[in-house]
Amino acid sequence: MRSLWLDMAALVRGLRAGRVLRGLGSVQGIVSPQCRNVRRGFHRATLLRLADDSKSGTSVPPPSFHEVPTAGESSSSSEPLEDGQPNTSYQDQSGEHGEDYETEEQLQVRILTSALEFVPEHGWTVEAIAAGAETLGLSSASTGMFNNGAGDLVLHFVAQCNAQLAETLAEQHNLVQLGQAESKETAEFLRDAVEMRLRMLIPYIDTWPQAMSILLLPHNIPDSLKHLSTMVDDVWYYAGDRSTDMNWYTRRAALTGIFNTTELVMVQDSSPDFEETWDFLDNRIKDVVNMANTAKQVQATGEALVQGLMGAAITLKNLTGMNQRR
Amino acid sequence: MQRFVRPQLMLRGSQQTILPTAGQPCRNSISAVPCVRGRGYSVLPPTNDEEEKAMLHRMMRVDHAGEYGANRIYAGQMAVLGCTQTRPLIQEMWDQEKQHLSKFNEILGDNRIRPTLLLPLWNIAGFALGAGSALLGKEGAMACTVAVEESISEHYNSQIRTLMEKDPEKYTELLQMIKEFRDDEMEHHDTGLEHDAESVPGYQLMKAIIQAGCKAAIYVSQRV
Repeated sequence: MRSLWLDMAALVRGLRAGRVLRGLGSVQGIVSPQCRNVRRGFHRATLLRLADDSKSGTSVPPPSFHEVPTAGESSSSSEPLEDGQPNTSYQDQSGEHGEDYETEEQLQVRILTSALEFVPEHGWTVEAIAAGAETLGLSSASTGMFNNGAGDLVLHFVAQCNAQLAETLAEQHNLVQLGQAESKETAEFLRDAVEMRLRMLIPYIDTWPQAMSILLLPHNIPDSLKHLSTMVDDVWYYAGDRSTDMNWYTRRAALTGIFNTTELVMVQDSSPDFEETWDFLDNRIKDVVNMANTAKQVQATGEALVQGLMGAAITLKNLTGMNQRR
Repeated sequence: MQRFVRPQLMLRGSQQTILPTAGQPCRNSISAVPCVRGRGYSVLPPTNDEEEKAMLHRMMRVDHAGEYGANRIYAGQMAVLGCTQTRPLIQEMWDQEKQHLSKFNEILGDNRIRPTLLLPLWNIAGFALGAGSALLGKEGAMACTVAVEESISEHYNSQIRTLMEKDPEKYTELLQMIKEFRDDEMEHHDTGLEHDAESVPGYQLMKAIIQAGCKAAIYVSQRV
């Protein structure tokens, strides 16, 4: 029975490797897909075997063959972000699974979410993931599913926070459009959005420096930058920015700077309810607004100056008679 | 100044975001683009496929950059030839380009598409090209117009081909818009030829250089 399962796994791996290779065009710097798939198959085999050995009759979902191709992901192998993607598995096109299988990505998401409660105790480490897995009734060896270890946990948390932020901002946006809420000034909106997002760190603030250093590891930088840029883009979109020129870039760069510096202030802030952090945030936003106003003033002055010069030149031409046509 | 009003077409089988037009002023919009609430359709079909979205965004980004550059070219030509007889001709073509640009601004804003980072470069280069060609006189300006419009038409044609190959049904709206713009650009091209573009000395050389520049600009704008 198990050998039959292993044969099927090998067949599926081969098929899946073919599909991943086709999608390789859009992938950068990826480990050999066959390697990863073999590792995945092996991990699932380990999972199943150990789970069977340790506990009988558990609710371990049998490893499913419904795996979404991971073309487009760069370094980290866990894809908690693709939960919203349609399941493009070749086996089952409909959303319904016959026997309540979940995809590997959904399983990983569940494990990482439950691992978050152990972060205050174990830090952002593989131990936290193992503890989370055990809460779900899986063996602690299921941490082998996460090639990036603690990086997967941190990235999952960041993605979760960003999704929550986007959802809240979208709801507020809807209320404003329906006329049930007042729209905010840009500065106030940005301030509230950044504060909301940073407040999500409060439960983990003691271990957050460790998480930040994990995010700065070279193989995590592409993913963490992607999360950061998506978040900043979301905030500006809901703040009403529809610019299609250099403002698009300068605004997002400014907000990225504000967010990162405020985050740094927050991790070493010991004031009650992080008052100093919010004051710092206020000041930074005021700075940016001032700079924008100053830039506008400089431009207006420049234009007025040019017009003045043109007027002076024309007057001069008139005086010297150069403007006359004889 | 000609203004054409595009009828509000309902996109077949797509999500219609019917926003309640409560008449509330759009105080949230802080950009130069006017708030476009209550529009019943979207030119780009909604999609969940990341690759398709990336492709569509790339196409819109480079088109936006192209119209922006064309806008600046006409501005440059107008700056030099603004006091001559060719003023109404250039003004008419410029107005059409402005309409194209505003349409693309709308699309970029609605679909949260990033504009290309090279816009300041196209700003300066376009103006310089327009002004430089206009310094050669009306024929020079027309020659520049012919070269640029030919490049842009070719580019739009290749985009139309790509979309038709993929799925003409799905991209009906988008195809219609690109075809319309392509026809406008061809009109400008023909206008340029009518007004003695070919009589400028060094016409072939000038055309070749400008078209090479346009190709390079399109290539780069798709990627940055």
